[in-house]
Amino acid sequence: MTAGEVTGARRPEVLDGPFNTRQLLRLDEALRTADSSTGLTFSVYVGELDEPVRGHAEKLHGQLFDPARSVLIAVSPNQRMLEIVTGAEARKRLPDRDCKLAALSMAAAFGVGDLAGGVVSGLAQLADHAGKR
Amino acid sequence: MSFSLSEVLTLVLPALAVVLVVTMLVYLGSSRRGKRYRPGRPFEFTPVWFLSAPEQLAGDGGPVAALPQGPRRAELASAEGPVLAQPESIQQTGGASDRW
Repeated sequence: MTAGEVTGARRPEVLDGPFNTRQLLRLDEALRTADSSTGLTFSVYVGELDEPVRGHAEKLHGQLFDPARSVLIAVSPNQRMLEIVTGAEARKRLPDRDCKLAALSMAAAFGVGDLAGGVVSGLAQLADHAGKR
Repeated sequence: MSFSLSEVLTLVLPALAVVLVVTMLVYLGSSRRGKRYRPGRPFEFTPVWFLSAPEQLAGDGGPVAALPQGPRRAELASAEGPVLAQPESIQQTGGASDRW
């Protein structure tokens, strides 16, 4: 199930998350575009991160199907922390410097309360830096 | 200069109706917009984990809501040895960190 899909009559859990329906659709589109244009797997986690924050983000990244080719953006709004984790293969196309640039841009958006906008623009930047598959 | 009751009602009722409609629209709009994140203020929400396809999450492949203690890959679950026993993908992760 993707971010934008709604199944059955029961209210999906994702609607209790930090984004409204319109933002979920934007996020879904950004994820699909990033995945299809780069061939990498992008994912976005928004929630609390246990200490050490980096370790928790890496653990989440390790749960993805193909961590080596995956990129995880982990955002903790209450802790005001952001982690971008790239796998071994993804890192070759997305050097840490490019990730830092995207992180700076995302943090600027988060700082003014724009969670969805920050994530969407961060995904676009990362996909742009990673280039075509 | 005097107004009859019907003249007063003709003038006042439409004005009241307009005020009522505008008030309802504003109320509905704000309630639909829901909660909004404001940095520095507590923000209650259900953690979420987004993927463009569910099968990209190892394990049952189902959840959209994040499961921090969720299923792990076999090699992670069995990695009881020293740090050197960690899978290659964990050791070579890169990326960046930031805060706001």
